[in-house]
Order: sequence, then structure tokens, then C-alpha cells
Amino acid sequence: MRRAWKHSLVGCALSCSQRYKTWQSMATACGYLRKASMKSEGYASKADRLGAEIDITGYTPDRIRNFSIIAHIDHGKSTLADRLLETTGVITKSGKNKQVLDKLKVERERGITVKAQSASMFCEHDGRKYLVNLIDTPGHVDFSYEVSRSLAACQGTILLVDAAQGIQAQTVANFYLAFGEGLAVIPMLNKVDLPTAEPDRAALQIESAFEIDAANIVHLSAKTGLGINRVLPSVIERIPAPSGSIDAPFKALLFDTWYDKYVGVVCLMAIKDGAVRRGDRVVSMHSGTRYEVMEVGIMHPEQRPATQLQVGQVGYVVCNMKSVAEAHVGDTFHKDKFPVVPLPGFAPAKSMVFAGVFPLDAGEFDKLNESIQKLTLNDSSVAVHKETSAALGQGWRLGFLGTLHMDVFRQRLEEEYDASVLVTAPTVPYRVQYKDGTSKYIQTPADFPTAIEIQDKVDAVMEPFVLATLIFPEQYLGAMLELCTMHRGDIHTHTYLDESRVMLKCRMPTAEMVTDFYDQLKSRSQGFASFDYEDNGYNESDLVKMEVLLNGEAVDALAAVMHRDNVATVGRTMAKRLKDVIRRQLFDIIIQTAANGKVVARETVKQLRKNVTAKCYGGDISRKMKLLNKQKEGKKRMKKIGRVELPQEAFLSVMTGSKE
Amino acid sequence: MAPARTPLSLYVHWPYCSFLCRFCAFSKARVPASGVDHALVTRALLAELRTSLAPHSKDKELRSIYFGGGTPSLAQPAHVAQIIEQASRLVPLAANAEITLESNPTSAETNKMAAFKAAGITRYSIGIQTLDDGVLQRMGRLHSGAEALAAANRAASLFPGHVSLDMMFGFESQTVDQWQRELETVLAHANGHLSLYQLTVEPGTPLFRDIRAQRVKRNPDDTLALMYETAVALCRSRGLAHYEVSNYAASPESQSAHNIGYWQGRQWIGIGPSAHSRFIDPASGTCLRTVCIPDIQRWVRSCLEHGHGTAKTETVDDAEARQEAVVFGLRMLDGLSNSRFMRTGCVSSGALSLAEYLRVDQVQRYVRDGYLRSSGSLDHLAPTERGLQVIDSILLDILP
Repeated sequence: MRRAWKHSLVGCALSCSQRYKTWQSMATACGYLRKASMKSEGYASKADRLGAEIDITGYTPDRIRNFSIIAHIDHGKSTLADRLLETTGVITKSGKNKQVLDKLKVERERGITVKAQSASMFCEHDGRKYLVNLIDTPGHVDFSYEVSRSLAACQGTILLVDAAQGIQAQTVANFYLAFGEGLAVIPMLNKVDLPTAEPDRAALQIESAFEIDAANIVHLSAKTGLGINRVLPSVIERIPAPSGSIDAPFKALLFDTWYDKYVGVVCLMAIKDGAVRRGDRVVSMHSGTRYEVMEVGIMHPEQRPATQLQVGQVGYVVCNMKSVAEAHVGDTFHKDKFPVVPLPGFAPAKSMVFAGVFPLDAGEFDKLNESIQKLTLNDSSVAVHKETSAALGQGWRLGFLGTLHMDVFRQRLEEEYDASVLVTAPTVPYRVQYKDGTSKYIQTPADFPTAIEIQDKVDAVMEPFVLATLIFPEQYLGAMLELCTMHRGDIHTHTYLDESRVMLKCRMPTAEMVTDFYDQLKSRSQGFASFDYEDNGYNESDLVKMEVLLNGEAVDALAAVMHRDNVATVGRTMAKRLKDVIRRQLFDIIIQTAANGKVVARETVKQLRKNVTAKCYGGDISRKMKLLNKQKEGKKRMKKIGRVELPQEAFLSVMTGSKE
Repeated sequence: MAPARTPLSLYVHWPYCSFLCRFCAFSKARVPASGVDHALVTRALLAELRTSLAPHSKDKELRSIYFGGGTPSLAQPAHVAQIIEQASRLVPLAANAEITLESNPTSAETNKMAAFKAAGITRYSIGIQTLDDGVLQRMGRLHSGAEALAAANRAASLFPGHVSLDMMFGFESQTVDQWQRELETVLAHANGHLSLYQLTVEPGTPLFRDIRAQRVKRNPDDTLALMYETAVALCRSRGLAHYEVSNYAASPESQSAHNIGYWQGRQWIGIGPSAHSRFIDPASGTCLRTVCIPDIQRWVRSCLEHGHGTAKTETVDDAEARQEAVVFGLRMLDGLSNSRFMRTGCVSSGALSLAEYLRVDQVQRYVRDGYLRSSGSLDHLAPTERGLQVIDSILLDILP
């Protein structure tokens, strides 16, 4: 008996150190940390895991705080999260904990959070034990719906502002989202240790932008740890405990999901009433589908099973859900046969930007199909429709929440699946209202009605708008006003946040934003302007379809929709850009852009006259063969339209917005 | 009767130059201030020659020897004779073997021409490059246009019908008219063979750096194409047939047999610093490609210590061998016959015909459009003049 006990102890020690090592490598390696841990721990050891189920039933709502951190990119949200996880012992202080919650490679590279991650911490305050849940929110405006659902899972938020940079457009947008959810907002200043920090000025900006008292603002340096010990006490004192009752029927908000290849979909839920445990049968209010709960637990920071999750708590639920498409962020769950009033604010993901995705080589279709399916398994906000292009063959039209979302998706597709994909220029969903009373959303320029159709059958063509917020130092006011006007923007207000920072609100067509607007904003303000936006409905607009003809043949994948005022300039720019990226071939290539049946611009890529290598003797042979094989590889990355070879850049040179 | 011996070529790399041209990307070194230790270099070359030719003594026959460089006309004729003699002792020299020496047209070298002939040289190649003294000077060449023409005349009397003159076109500021006039003059002095190269800007050369720093302008591609077309037409009108991208000959006998060996996939042994070889290893039967140590001192040491200066040996697999056969065969206007392709020296996996190997639909399209010529069901494939100019593009389409 004793020997057996000793044996199991050794086994446990081993597995602990193994787990520790796994964590270490996870913290340093980029990539899917969550996935990596699943693999190494292995779900085979389920018995061990069940044995380790923790009991958190003692944490009643008064001992629970649910909060999030909202901040502009690079203002230190992830670093602050790391420090809080360290001080509460969730992760070890190894110095290697860099942005533990940002698990995707793209997130770390870009310093953004795409998928929300959450973690539970245990701490003591005034002699009482608390369960504090940090609900991480995506840091980018493309994911504002996800942000709002994450916020709905908390009762308060830390508004983290870089003391050197002051408030930025994203801070403003996120503040209003939190304010709209009725959350308690605790402003805090980060990076106060920097020599360039101006905490008083940043505090003043907070007061004037948000009309909140910043007198007792917490000063922090998440990097050095300065002031960290004041963060959780502030959270506990200033954020209200979650409401709800343990006696009411179970009711929970689903606010994040991800796919795990061993157990299927993992749902993060905030329990609003009652409790849930393994074996319970729960129902999605949106779909009515029933699920059996397999496991519940908290994120600590990896999944840690618990005996039960109950009112006020936040944790994960594994319930035999096979596809993330079944898990709708914002959905309300209840127990079978005990329906509840659904939580407000549920909305399905809405695509703001569309792009065509095609395999470079038609033979790769199945492989790419599989890759897209795998990726959308973890990101249900990507809308997927099959599309057939005369020029590019079979592919997909994908809908994204925004341009960043699109870039992230494409990067993941390329990096994780080594896909040779061709992505067409982004377009926005136009709405066409027909005279017969019907209306249609146009996701691809090829479907946009021709000039004659518009004249005969169309009542109005509508395009989507956004309300943009720009914040920048006042010396760039002129440049920023010009930028907005140039992009068909309608300036609403500009206000001074302090004596030198300006906040400008402007309404503009979404199509203008998906071009080079962001790059222009950064270059014209030398990187000092920040930008954010929200949807702002549809307006009637004078839109036309621009077609691109190569040697007289219209190429559907190069068509674009644009405002009539832009036709002449954009048509010229498009033809010129295409000329620059198309290589000379054995025949002349005539590029024409045309709108309303009229050619706007014409360029010619002259026939290649000579490209043969002059000298090729003994010693030159290896070099020549290497070069040839490199050229062959390059050719594989071209898309052939008829006889014309187009590089990937050609499809991106068709941008519809206003340009210089 | 003894079985027929397999043809073999020998390349001898003489690494020194008395001046370095700004466009040159070949392996070379300026003659050191203390002078070249001719005896030492020759000893190393002879050692390497012995090691690399010996395995081929039984079944090969030397069809050509080529002294390249560097500037091999700086070598001593007696040493050249020694190398030829030793080579022919190791592998029998064919009756009409071509033995070429590359040279620069300085008067010192021209004075040695008769001695080279006595040493066994049968074909003399002169690097004229341009007759424009200003360009010659800017490119770092220490001779004049007049000296070059004098050398050509001298060579014509010593090696009648077996003189090659090297010219380049496309120098900065050169116009098509200037090139045409220069070529007219050179044609008047030609005796059998011309090599006309488009100036190629190779990475690592001083010219490359000048162009990158925008100190020197490049001629536009279409101007270069026009210069090339001018050369083809002008040479044809003077009875010099275009037979390879950059080579023209008055008759088949005047063509460079040695260089045709490269384009037809013949086996060759190269000796000297940085020299390449490509041959079927008699011991293993596999096709090998070797490269010698490029640094002269280290190459000499290696040859004297180990009998060879080989730095790297690679095997050439069947796929490479076939690809090379097409890529190099189609540099010649005569093209490539299916029977030669099927006999491609290095292939071990059994014969494959051109029709089986190439993308026939693409070949047919290029034949239809006038870029390629073919007879029968690809018994023979050759580029047209128009096709040769853009053969690099065509190859990308027709190769599998």
C-alpha cells in the first residue's frame, strides 16, 4: 500500500514538471499555444484531470469580480495581464511571460488580440478570498461585436492609457462600448516610468474625453511591476459584484469559443443565474439545439476542470458541440425544459469586407477547400460562399468583419496551411434596390449591375458608410481634414481633447476605408494619428462598375465598383498599376479600363523582344540551371488569364477608392 | 578494329590577367607585382591534369582543348606545349582536334602568337570587345582598337580560317549606329569566326556596382535587342552564319568545336582554379559535376599536395541531365535531334524521347507561332531566329 502511494507520488511529480516544461515552451514559442498544450497533455489522461477537479462553489457573487482591460494597441494591455497572472500565481515569474494571452502567431506579430482569451485568478483582499476573472477583449475595431460581447460578460473594465501617448482613437471607441454596456470604468495610466510620460496631461485628456473623474488615477508600469499591487484591490473595490441568483434557473452568456480537435467546440460562458455541471443538458436559445455538458472549468490559464460553474462565475463548458458554426457569440444558454428570457444584444456576425479567394492552380482546389474549412472551424465570423469566376475558375467569396480580419485570415491561411492562394481586392457589400421593390446585396463586383441595367431596373444603389474617429496632434489637422475630404468623407466635428490633441469625427463610405486610407493616415501624420470606426448605415450613391480588359477581353476578377467622381483618376491609376506589375510576354498586352461602356485609360505592355542569356559555357551551366528553376517557380505563382500571365499583385492593384 | 572512343573535351583555366575588365565576372586575378610563378602554376596544372585525365585514358578521345581564363595568352608557349603534350599522352588526341587559346590583343601577346602556334594551338581567339578607345579605357582594358585589328590580321595569317574575334555590344552610350559601324570594321578583319556578346551586368562586378549607384546607365532592353538583330542581319550579309546565340561562323569547320561540345552535352574535364568538369565517372558510371577551388594559392597547394584542386563534387541526376540537354541544345540554331537527346550522356534511367519528355502542346503552339521548328513527331527540335531571341521564356513553357 505504502509503496503504491509512493509510486503514484513520483508519477505525479513527473507529470507536474512535464506540465511546467510544456508551459515554458508554450510561453516562448509562438503559434497555437492552446493547441500545443492539448497535444502534449493529451486528452487520454482524462481520469487524472477529473481527479483534479476543483471546487469553486464557495465563491458566491460577492466574492467574484469580472473585469476586462480596454486599451489602444501597444498601450500595454497584454503586459498588464501577464503581471496580474504572475502576482496571483497563475503563471510563474520566469521573465518569459510575454503576452501570454495572445496565443496566435499573428496576434504577437501585430501586437493585437484577435480572439478573446480569458483567465481566472484567486486572490485575497481585506482578509477575504476572491475569484477574479480577467476577460480579455479583442483589441481591434474589426472585432467590435466580439468586444461588446466580451464586455457583456463583465461588470467593469480598466481603461488603460499609455501615459506618454495619451488617449487614442481605439481607446475612445472601446470606452463608449464599455459605457454602453453600463460597466464601471477604472482609468489607469501605464508606462509612467518612461521619460516621455506625461501622466497629468493623459489624466486631463481622460477627463475631457470621457467626463470621468481621474483624480485618484492609478499610476502603473506593467513592465517593471510598479503599481501592480494596486490593480486588483481597485478592481475588487470599484467594480460591482455580478448580480443574479443561484436559485434562479441556469442562464449563461456565450462570449467566446474555439475549436479543439479532441473535444470539439469549447465555449466560454458567463453564468448569469443558477449553476451548470457535468451531465446537465443545456439548450442554445438561438438554435434550440440541446447539448450534454461533458466538462466545465475555469481558464487557469489553461483549462482546469471544476465540479461546477455557478452564478457570477466565468469559465469554459465542453458540451459535445461539433462545429463553431453552432456556437454563436452572444447566444444565451439555459437548462433543458427551463427556458429563460434571453440576454439582450445578440446579433450574428456581419461581413463588412469581401474578397475572392482562388487557388493559383486549379488542382489545389480541394486542398485549399480543406484549409479554409479548418480555419473557419475556429472563426465563425468568416462568411464563406462558393464563387466561380470566368477568369480564375472555382473559388470562394469570403466575408470578413474588416480589412484586418481579412489580412489575419489570409496570413493564417498562408502560414499554417502553406496555401498558394490568390486573393482579390477587397470590396464592400453594396445594396441595390430594384424598381420592382426587391433589393440585393452585391458581394462581388462582377455581380454589380451594368449602366443599362441601372438605368432600366434600378431604383437606387446604396453603399455602406462608417463613422470614423481620428485622434492626432493638432499640427496634423490640415492634413487629416484633407485626407478625409479626399476620401469622400463628411466631417462631423472636431474637438480638442487638450490644448494640443484633436479628435475628429467623420462619416465616409466604407469602400474608401478599405483602400490605402490607413496607410495614408499613418504617413500623413508621421504615425501620430490613430483611427477607429463604427458602422453607420447605407446611403444612396452614384456608383459605377469599372471593368478591366486585357487584349479586349473583360476579366471579371479585376472588375471594381467605384463612385462616378473617381472613375477617371482611378481608371488611369488602375491601368498604370497593372502595366507596372504585368511582365512583358511574347506578345503585346493591351490593358484597358472601362466604365459605362467607355474606355477610361489604355496602357500597353510591349512584347518581349529578347531575353536569351548571352554567354553559356562550361562554368555557366550550373548557374543557368539554377536561374531557370527559380524562374519556373516564379511562373507557378502566376495566374494565367487566357495567355496573359498575371502576378498576385495585379489583383490587388484594383482598388476602388480615391487615390493620389 | 578497336571500339570507338567516346569524345572528351579539356578545358584549361589560366587564372591571371594583366588588367581587370569592369564587366568581367569570371574567376581571375591580376598578375602580381612580383610576376607570375609560371613554373609553379604549370606544375599544378600538370598534376591536376594527370589525376583527372588518367581515369579516361582507356575509352575516351580528346576532341578539343581550350585554354581560357583569365588571359591564357600571358602563359608561356612552352608551358602550353607541355600541357598539350601531357594531355595527349594520357588520352589520345583526335586527328583534327581543335586546340584554342584565348588572348588579349596587346602587342606583347601578339608577338607570342607564332610561338603558340608552334606549341600546338590550332585556333586563336582574340578578345577585342570594342574598337572604341574611350570605352576600352573606361572598361579597364589596356589596349587600343588599332592594336586589336593588328592582332586580328596577324592571327589571320597564322591561323587561316580558325580565328575567332570576340566583340561586345550594349556599352553605356553606345548607339545602334555606332555598333553597326564597329561591327562592319571587325567583319572586314574577321577570318572564320565571331563571338558577339551582349554586355551582361553580372552581380559582383565593378560595372554592376556602377550601375546600381547610377554612375553608369544601362541601355534600354529594346535597344539591346535591336543591336542583336542588327548583328544577326549584318553577319548573315557577310557570309557568317549565326549558329548559337552569340556565335557566327563562315563555315562548319570554323565553328568552335569545343563550345559546341558544351551545348551538345559532351563530357569535359576542366583543370585550373574554379574550373568546372562534367563527366561520367568511369568507376561508378554516375554523372558528376565538379568545381575546383577558386582561390589560386589554395588551388596550387591542393594540386601539389593531393594531385587535384577539386572543391566540390555533385552528381547530375537524370532529370537535370535531360533539362540541360534541352536548355543547351536549343541555344543552337541547329537545335537538338531526338536521337542525340535520347543518347544524353548522363541519363541512366533508360531513354526518353523528346516527345515523351517535353510538353508537346506547348511545343506545337510555339512551332505554329514561328518560334520553334520541328520535324516529324519531334525527331528534331530547333529555335527559329525569332525564337532564339526569347528562348528563355519558351523553355519555361515547354520543359516539364
